[in-house]
Amino acid sequence: MIDLLATRDYYLASFLLLGVGTYVMIAARNFVKKVIGMNIFQTGIFLFFIAAAYLEGANPPVLTMDGPHVSPLPHVLILTAIVVGVALTAVALGMIVRIYAEYGTLTEDTLEEVRNGE
Amino acid sequence: MTEIPSILPLAAVLVSAVAVVPILAFRDRPNVRESWTVLAALAKFGLVASMVPAALAGDVYVTDLGTLVPYVEFTLRADSLGLLFALLASTLWVVTSFYSIGYMRGLDEDHQARYFASFAASVSAAVGVAFASNLVVLYLFYELLTVATYPLVAHDGTDEARAAGRKYLAYTFGGGVAVLAGTLLVVYLTGTTAFTAGGIAELASADPTLARAAFALLITGFGVKAALMPLHSWLPDAMVAPTPVSGLLHAVAVVKSGVFGVARVLLDVFGIDLVAELGVGGVLAAVAAFTLVVASVIALRQDNLKRRLAFSTVSQLSYIVLGLAVGASAAGGDAAKWALIGGLLHIPAHAFMKLTLFFCAGAIHVETHTDDISNMAGIGRRMPLTMGAFAVAAAGMAGIPLVAGFVSKYFLLIGTVSSGDLAFTAALLVSGVLNIAYFWPVVYTAFFETAEGADEKPLVSGILGGRFAREARADGGHADDHGAFERRAANGAESTWLMLGPILFAAAGAVVLGVVPDAAVFLQIVRDVAETATAMGVVA
Amino acid sequence: MSDLVALAVAVPIFGSLAALVAGLVRSESGWPVAVVACVAQVAIAARLAATAFGDGTITYVVGGFEAPYGIELLVDGLAATMLGLIAVVSLGVLAYARRAGPRSNPFYAVYLLLVAGLTGMSVTADLFNMYVFLEITGLAAYALVASGDRGRSAVAALKYLLVGTVGASLFLLGVGYAYIDTGTLNMADLATKLGDADPTLVHAAFAFIVVGLFIKVAVFPLHTWQPDAYAGAPDSVAALVSALVSTVAAYALLRVVYTVFGVGFLANNELAHAILVGGATVSIVAGSLLAVSQSEVKRMLAYSSVSQFGLVVAAIAIGNVTALMGAVVHLVGHAIMKGGLFLTAGLVATETGARRVEEFDGLVRRSPVGAGAFGVLAVAMVGVPPTVGFAGKWYIAVGAAESGSWALLAVIVGSTLLTLAYFARLVERMFFREPSDDLEPAIEAVADGGEAPGASLGMRATVVAAAVAAVALGLAVFGYSQHLQPTIEVLLS
Repeated sequence: MIDLLATRDYYLASFLLLGVGTYVMIAARNFVKKVIGMNIFQTGIFLFFIAAAYLEGANPPVLTMDGPHVSPLPHVLILTAIVVGVALTAVALGMIVRIYAEYGTLTEDTLEEVRNGE
Repeated sequence: MTEIPSILPLAAVLVSAVAVVPILAFRDRPNVRESWTVLAALAKFGLVASMVPAALAGDVYVTDLGTLVPYVEFTLRADSLGLLFALLASTLWVVTSFYSIGYMRGLDEDHQARYFASFAASVSAAVGVAFASNLVVLYLFYELLTVATYPLVAHDGTDEARAAGRKYLAYTFGGGVAVLAGTLLVVYLTGTTAFTAGGIAELASADPTLARAAFALLITGFGVKAALMPLHSWLPDAMVAPTPVSGLLHAVAVVKSGVFGVARVLLDVFGIDLVAELGVGGVLAAVAAFTLVVASVIALRQDNLKRRLAFSTVSQLSYIVLGLAVGASAAGGDAAKWALIGGLLHIPAHAFMKLTLFFCAGAIHVETHTDDISNMAGIGRRMPLTMGAFAVAAAGMAGIPLVAGFVSKYFLLIGTVSSGDLAFTAALLVSGVLNIAYFWPVVYTAFFETAEGADEKPLVSGILGGRFAREARADGGHADDHGAFERRAANGAESTWLMLGPILFAAAGAVVLGVVPDAAVFLQIVRDVAETATAMGVVA
Repeated sequence: MSDLVALAVAVPIFGSLAALVAGLVRSESGWPVAVVACVAQVAIAARLAATAFGDGTITYVVGGFEAPYGIELLVDGLAATMLGLIAVVSLGVLAYARRAGPRSNPFYAVYLLLVAGLTGMSVTADLFNMYVFLEITGLAAYALVASGDRGRSAVAALKYLLVGTVGASLFLLGVGYAYIDTGTLNMADLATKLGDADPTLVHAAFAFIVVGLFIKVAVFPLHTWQPDAYAGAPDSVAALVSALVSTVAAYALLRVVYTVFGVGFLANNELAHAILVGGATVSIVAGSLLAVSQSEVKRMLAYSSVSQFGLVVAAIAIGNVTALMGAVVHLVGHAIMKGGLFLTAGLVATETGARRVEEFDGLVRRSPVGAGAFGVLAVAMVGVPPTVGFAGKWYIAVGAAESGSWALLAVIVGSTLLTLAYFARLVERMFFREPSDDLEPAIEAVADGGEAPGASLGMRATVVAAAVAAVALGLAVFGYSQHLQPTIEVLLS
């Protein structure tokens, strides 16, 4: 078991990040923190892919370097996913700005109170 | 039997659906609007009637509209059984159209355009049910009939009417779901849903348990509209609808679409041999026998005239189902034939009689705003023709000769006796007595009582009833003749001819069916159906 | 010919850019641009559908990198159906949005981006590419939901964004498992290689992908974003999103389950099958029950979607030819009916201000077109023949009967009554109660002001067209399903 954990430490870390991200998204009452939780969650997935591409003793996938190379495809995929993640964060923050402008609060509980008073 | 490709069945279905458009378009001009109703009714009757001679000669008009969904051809067939129902519905729609005009105008009702439009749509759906060539097309029109009649039930818009509407939808759509499930089971077992004279052959070789389940689902589904107990309770509540609706739809078109569905399932899906073999006909007959007795007993206790008529309908519908079930479980032979003829003939017989009764109740409502029997003492003086027609139709319901009910019940009795099901014979006879017990008080109250001098009714308030059953009057005097209703001559001064005409027509129809049944086309059609069914049974 | 496939994705993207650029020159010029793009999209979809149904599957490799290394686009009968649906619905909603708004150019830019994302999801044959389009769709949908002018829209959109992102991320995680296992992302290639792969990894991939898509489809209990999003969005957006976004997600589920994992996988894995059946059953029942208890019409319609997509997932779980055709028919039918219902709800709100169930009293007097269309669409949704709602249910139910799934059959058939339960009370109020007075026509849903909005001819026409289509499509289903059958058979082989 220990052995398994030691050789799979990257996967362990990535699922730890998924867990932390999920927890923050659910438990945090502040919207900005929820978005941070979402980012942590996504980072966990990025790490998962990159870890999968890793090859013991291999070089980065650049042609001038000697082989063996680590698998380049996951890197490309995750580059795309990071871009998507950034766009999502931007949109989310934009909404949070609007919520703040409208209700003057960033926490869920206060928002409930404000909206019930509507 | 030859099949004649023709547009006629489709036209007969659609003509009244098309009329919905002008009826709604001319909603602000009542006379134009009502002419469309009458025009559509006459056109529909003409179209249906034009197919009868061919059907009697053994030919069938067919409209093929291609495939609807897998396993299902969208085909309309005007076979004998279908024509029986279609002819009945379209004939009586003509009568009811006139009556509706008199009724709705007499009460100055709201939403008349919606009323006439829904009525036209309902009759379209009813004829669609009649001409459906397979279970799915039948289901299609069966559901459309529910949708089209719902506005009529909830017409008044009162809490009571809306509650009745909800109950109506819940019951009938629940039934629809059972029909759909049963249909799917039949598809699974046989790969087809097409009605076949003598039954779908593949069903006979299918797993008996599943076949029984399919039978139970289908009969339960159609049993809702056929008001088999314990699925009947929407019907008395639906009496909140305007009386022409109660008359044509809840005594004829809607409820008989349920009975008609039962007939199709027994005769053309399972076939009478298979029904006998599976042993399900006896169960159905027992349920029907139970219903027809219990509903009669409940009818005794109803003071609201329309509710009493509704329970009477529940009871009479079970006569039909009983005839069909006994005919099916007798498996061929004369007994089956008699029972089938009795059951099927009771469809038009009951329709004419019950329509008369409802029309009378409606006329009383319009002219005097009286709904409860206990307030009708002496109303025969005010409305002699109406109550005369009522008495004739009531006599027919009880099976007194010379009115339609006698003929069909006679066949039913012969059928049950010759098939050896004497328990059912007994049920029929008991119910016949009960019929008298719940109709006679109405007639008696109307003609022989006054507002002051009410008598006890037999069975309900005393075994024998009559004046002697009450305590002796202190002054020994005779009840005075000055009732609440003024006396009118029997020349039509009691109501408008728009209402009186249809009442007399329907009553006359009931008498014609009773006096010269062979001359009336219905018996010929019914014989044809019964002979086909039993002949097929023998061959298979 | 096959270049058209790429064009189907590219046209709305360029349209989106054009709408933004046009906005710099002249404000409120987005609508004509969007119309042009959507008309072009309809034409492309029609051409592709004709070819796909006539000559068979069209494939296109992006940038000349041959599959399985490059990204492959593929249009079979199923994808062509979705393409056509997306194009027609987005054009129809545009006709409605002309008056109902929102009107800003950025709105139409995002609108077209959504069309591009949905189209991409429909045609791609590459799992990672599907994720990217899933996120584009999601982003556009979040932004559109937030385009309402109330704070409520922004809150709903943020909730939608958080939950939706988790869904898409889980999908990506599943894709990761599949990739680690096989080293490929092409769906067809995956299908051949997954057979020999480590079953544990395959199971994990299936579970993550399915649960991720369940969130996007809004299967109970992963539906929580949906009612808020639909109720908070402007009416035209609610119609577009309800008609297309979950629909295409369900299409993706169908595609991934059958193209990538295959029938054999479902047949051999009780648990995989149980996830689908369980999700479907719970969704159908719980969605309907929640719908009954809603007092706001748009939320009720949203919960109704939860229930209806339960039917589609049920069909996917059954997985024979008839059931899958039923899934597709019901996807299309539901899109037309539900989109039409949301538009009708919007029309009613514009004309009378009624947004809550009890405000629908006597609606027929105040908004006859709205009440009539709502009635017809509700009847179709309940599944009264011959409407398209019946056709979808019939196929799915026959599929269930053919496969002998009796419990599922009972739920499917019983769903008719559940649907009736929440629509009947509205219909009753609309037609059989006297109107209450204290309502003002709503002046709402126009994000950037402008003149007071009454209902336009375009709005009424769209609503009526949806009602007519809901009935007419029911009669066209059989002809269509025969064309679709070869595609489904390939999918199942």
